[in-house]
Amino acid sequence: MLIAHRNLTREKTRLALSIGGVALAIMLVLILDGMLAGMYRQITSYLDHSRGSVVVAQNGVRNLLGATSLLPAGAVADVQAIGGVAEAVPILSQFVILDLHGKKQPTYLVGYSPELGGGPWDVVAGRTPETDEEMVFDRVLAARHDIGLGDEVALMDRSYRVVGLSDGTTSWMTSFIFLRQSAVQALLRAPGAASFLLVDAEEGASAEAVRDRISEMPGVEALLKMDVQANDRRLFGKFFSAPVRLMTGIAFLIGALVVGLVIYTATVERRREYGVLKALGARNRVLYSVVVVQAFWAALAGTAFGILLALGAQAAIMAARPQFLIVLQADMAGRALLIGMGMGLLAALFPARAVAGLEPAEVFRR
Amino acid sequence: MTRLAIRNLFQNRTRLIISVGGVALALMLILSLDGIVLWIQQRVTAYIDASGADVFVAQAGVRNMHMASSSLPADREALVAGVDGVESVTPILYATNVVAVGEERTIAYIIGLPSQTLAGGPWIVSAGRADPGPGGAVIDRGIAEKSGVGLGDHVEIMGRPFEIVGLSGGTTSLTNSIAFIGSEDFSKLRGDPDTVSFLFVRVEPGASPPDVAGRIESEVDGVTAQTRQEFAAQERQVVRDMSTDLVRIMNAVGFLIGLAVMGLTVYTATLLRRGEHGVMKALGARNRDLYASVSIQALVSVGLGLGVGLVFTLLLSAVVPRLASNLGLAISLASVGKAALASLVFAGAAAFLPIRQIRDLDPAMVFRGK
Repeated sequence: MLIAHRNLTREKTRLALSIGGVALAIMLVLILDGMLAGMYRQITSYLDHSRGSVVVAQNGVRNLLGATSLLPAGAVADVQAIGGVAEAVPILSQFVILDLHGKKQPTYLVGYSPELGGGPWDVVAGRTPETDEEMVFDRVLAARHDIGLGDEVALMDRSYRVVGLSDGTTSWMTSFIFLRQSAVQALLRAPGAASFLLVDAEEGASAEAVRDRISEMPGVEALLKMDVQANDRRLFGKFFSAPVRLMTGIAFLIGALVVGLVIYTATVERRREYGVLKALGARNRVLYSVVVVQAFWAALAGTAFGILLALGAQAAIMAARPQFLIVLQADMAGRALLIGMGMGLLAALFPARAVAGLEPAEVFRR
Repeated sequence: MTRLAIRNLFQNRTRLIISVGGVALALMLILSLDGIVLWIQQRVTAYIDASGADVFVAQAGVRNMHMASSSLPADREALVAGVDGVESVTPILYATNVVAVGEERTIAYIIGLPSQTLAGGPWIVSAGRADPGPGGAVIDRGIAEKSGVGLGDHVEIMGRPFEIVGLSGGTTSLTNSIAFIGSEDFSKLRGDPDTVSFLFVRVEPGASPPDVAGRIESEVDGVTAQTRQEFAAQERQVVRDMSTDLVRIMNAVGFLIGLAVMGLTVYTATLLRRGEHGVMKALGARNRDLYASVSIQALVSVGLGLGVGLVFTLLLSAVVPRLASNLGLAISLASVGKAALASLVFAGAAAFLPIRQIRDLDPAMVFRGK
């Protein structure tokens, strides 16, 4: 243990660089995980804050954000008439691309009825739209493009005046904007259309029973709100998990190589001392443990520093780019620790060969 | 000095492999992220590039297909067909929906095609036919294989069962695939026969697509007309604008990791060769000769790291599509140039670190047996 400690800390700059390398790799893993977790949270923010326990969509559609839904004509009244339904709130939603200052901004457009609900849940400035020429715009996106209350925003072949700014309606991929449902119907040339119904169950009626009754209607798909949220998370997770896994794998290998390089160098430097230990009767097992302990401590220190770096990077990124939500959770630190230990174990393989091949007599020949 | 530095560098193979591997992986981070974004950009325009249309007509103000919506009154087809230089007009219906096989559900751009379509159909059909016809669907081959279905089987699109009559290639991306059904089926499901999404225009031989697009916009109300190149550029811009910030953050992290790895490599190598550097000093080598030696080693290491990183990334670009059908990497000269520039910075910074060690090195240490 003492030998391992001395070997590791003898050269401070080298130790600092190795801890820094592992820390950066761990930080990358944590930031990627945090972005994914933040994305999951942002993806469901609309449903998290909207009313209703059951969501009704076009038959075959089980996501809010993944697919365009168009309910059969008369679906609102038909659902409203079903036993156990307290209220069915229609929304008409669609992804649109805004051209803002030469930048393309994918945006999720929600047409809703301010009298019924389904609109922005936190209007931090201004008010909700009262006419079909007015819109509520996401606060973060508005700030990024210097858009304020009273400004006109072009959307497809029309333009709308911003009368409200909403909070909690942004993500790095897309932001929410809100118009009256009738305005979206006119914009999409879809009079009377609705995409989804947000259904409140009557007091005493179970959401599952209401869902099952609505599901018997032709042409619609009824799901519990929490199932739609889970489907959206699963869908976007499927998009982004492969690139994130690829990056995490590369970061893991980098960390292992960094620790491996340091321990290998420290071992080669101390060859003679290891030879003396062998000549004095120490078995390879003892020498391996010296190497593993060094790798372990270097990886542990790097991981701890990496967690701190990730917290700093989280604050810096979210301050500079508020559309990114990075959520770092306690379980991620545990996973980072496991990854760090994995790096350490893999790294110990590099110098193990150097130790195993060492001739005890070498020390006496020099 | 150059020869000596290189021989010295190659003396310890394990250390060389570790250090070159470290730099290669850091550069791989930069290269592979760029590669993923470029691949997505290429895939997002695959349909437009292969559509066979010269000009794309959409609702006024709509310049994209990806994550966008366009709705044109059906009478615009005849108006556009009457514009000078237009050879044919194909009305296309478009929506984002789901291709479902049992519980396996994948997001797809659903394209509603008229029969005997002149543009906008599947461009690679590896089995079956290209024309979906009534009740038929052409879906991506990879999606079909993943879902365990083939020709003659049924999939659910927009909530209705369709028979698979064709399997297409090149129709999948990170986020979605493309599925083709007949226009009439599409209209029935949408319940709106009076609108179309886009008009795909082929121009007469010898006619200029930009001129025809300009004429369409000036002669037909409520439309935006763009050439294929313009439309594809708008699509690429969506991906670029969405990913710019993310790519910057990841590149910065990759860059810092590369700096740390390279700094560590050169620093540890200098430490290990203290004795040899001492001998050189004792034999009359000046500090600047030793700096040059360290710099050459750093340059050669990052050069090798860049080469290995590039080879690894190319290998990755071959392997990844086999493991994940919705992901790929495309390597461009621009991103290789960026990685090369980063390598130069790595080498410069790494060579700077051990300056103090070299400067303070006592030539007499070699005689003291240190």
